[in-house]
Amino acid sequence: MGQERFADVVERFTQGYAAPPPAPEVLTRWTDEIERARLRMTNFARLMLDPVEPRTGPTPRQEVYRKNKARLYRYGSAPTYRTPLLFVPNLGISRPYIFDLLPGGSFIEYMTAQGFDFYLLDWGTFGPEDNQLTVEDCVTRILPRMAAKALESSGAAGLSVLGYCMGAPLVASFVATYPEVPVKNFINMAGPIDFAKAGLFALWLDRRFFNVDRFVDVVGAIPADLVRAGFKLLKPTMDLSTSLNLWWNLWNDKYLEGFAALNKWANDYVAFPAEFFRHWVGDFYQQNQLVRGELRMGGRPVQLGRITCPVFVVGAREDYIAPPECVKALLEHVGSRDKEYVELPGGHISLIAGRGAAAHCWPKVSDWLARRS
Amino acid sequence: MDPSAASQELFDLWKRQIEEGTQAWARMMAAGPGRGAPDPAAFWRPLMDQGVAGWSRIMSQGPASPDLFGQWKQFLDQWIEAWSKALGQAMGTEAFAQTLGSYLDRWLQAQGPVKKAGEESAETLLQALGLPSRAQVVGVARQLAEVDDRLERLEDGMAALLRRRDGREPQ
Repeated sequence: MGQERFADVVERFTQGYAAPPPAPEVLTRWTDEIERARLRMTNFARLMLDPVEPRTGPTPRQEVYRKNKARLYRYGSAPTYRTPLLFVPNLGISRPYIFDLLPGGSFIEYMTAQGFDFYLLDWGTFGPEDNQLTVEDCVTRILPRMAAKALESSGAAGLSVLGYCMGAPLVASFVATYPEVPVKNFINMAGPIDFAKAGLFALWLDRRFFNVDRFVDVVGAIPADLVRAGFKLLKPTMDLSTSLNLWWNLWNDKYLEGFAALNKWANDYVAFPAEFFRHWVGDFYQQNQLVRGELRMGGRPVQLGRITCPVFVVGAREDYIAPPECVKALLEHVGSRDKEYVELPGGHISLIAGRGAAAHCWPKVSDWLARRS
Repeated sequence: MDPSAASQELFDLWKRQIEEGTQAWARMMAAGPGRGAPDPAAFWRPLMDQGVAGWSRIMSQGPASPDLFGQWKQFLDQWIEAWSKALGQAMGTEAFAQTLGSYLDRWLQAQGPVKKAGEESAETLLQALGLPSRAQVVGVARQLAEVDDRLERLEDGMAALLRRRDGREPQ
């Protein structure tokens, strides 16, 4: 394969384009492409030299209650539905402003606009003083109090609870342990329930390979950097893909605005309290006690069969943190008659945040809840 | 001349040149000392095959357009996706979980004494400077949280008493 032949091919390749006169639309597309390249350079320089801190959390809110690091916020002002909605996200890992990221791209803004009396439990950012906090504390001390405060603040007789990610098994444990709390509806969004089906994390945290007691005894609280490393390992090509998409859309100011906010959140990891991590991994991932009915909290057995309120489960097709089958498992174990499962396109985060969520997920959750609120 | 055929020919040629180059590199490495020489061909071949197959697929879908950047982006997306799947499969094996576990064990073995020594020296330094240690600050924060809990329980108790007094709750 000589250089001469290679040159011939290149020449023919370029002639292939040069032979017919370029059509006007081809010229227009080239002009557009050159303009995009110019905008990419300009925006890249702006990103590097003058980065602007994105303003997240646009929906007005007021703090209703605080307990140590945890905060209960109420959003919106003129709810249409009487039953308040308590939103319980994950504890540790990441901050909850992803649910109220930007105007027009906020789950909370959408739900309040639909007329829901929306309450958010922000578990807070933990320090070494919180290392004694356990899963049991969250289920038996924090969640009942936050539910009571939401009821008190709204003046309603019952409430709906939406658990997202780790928030869902915590809410399931809470509702199953305290059937006397007037929970009218329970929504599980991307929350792992049957940990035997929890994908890569279930395998990596298996007792044969991971000694959680030794890990917690040495490390103490799980630092944010270690949490980040664990999640990055789940999808090693994610950063490459993100960088490529950023370069591709760098000309688009609207995209950049969203990217800046999402990127800020995606790099804002939160540490796990030591004892919480021990119980979370040991009882839920390694022993799968929630679905096996072996969990006890506050001296009471946690039996999912005692959940009898209407249950709605939403799984994400490409979720590798909480795969759909491990989320869907809730329906097999609850005692509810009114129960429904939907599987939507997207991953763990894009299920609830972003354009896809606004099109697929939010209306489904809102419609299901509206009929029962 | 059909532009897609020309570009297809160009990329076929490009692929052959890369393969020949890789084989030459492999021969060179194999000739080196030791039997444990790396096999670059084994590493690069799947990568190149995936990339070129993706590009060929894009090219065969229609004539090359001025949107070459778009085609290149598609090629990279497919390439990243293919590697993501391959890595996912590799990381989803017990062998990987075991390797990860052993790595963590070794890290903990090294980390434990270092962390303990660091904490002890920081404690000594703070004590020498007459400053509260980290453990003392954490202790105060914990006590505050406990006081907060006690106040909460008192509030609950008072609320329950008030409800009973007002007859809103059975005694």
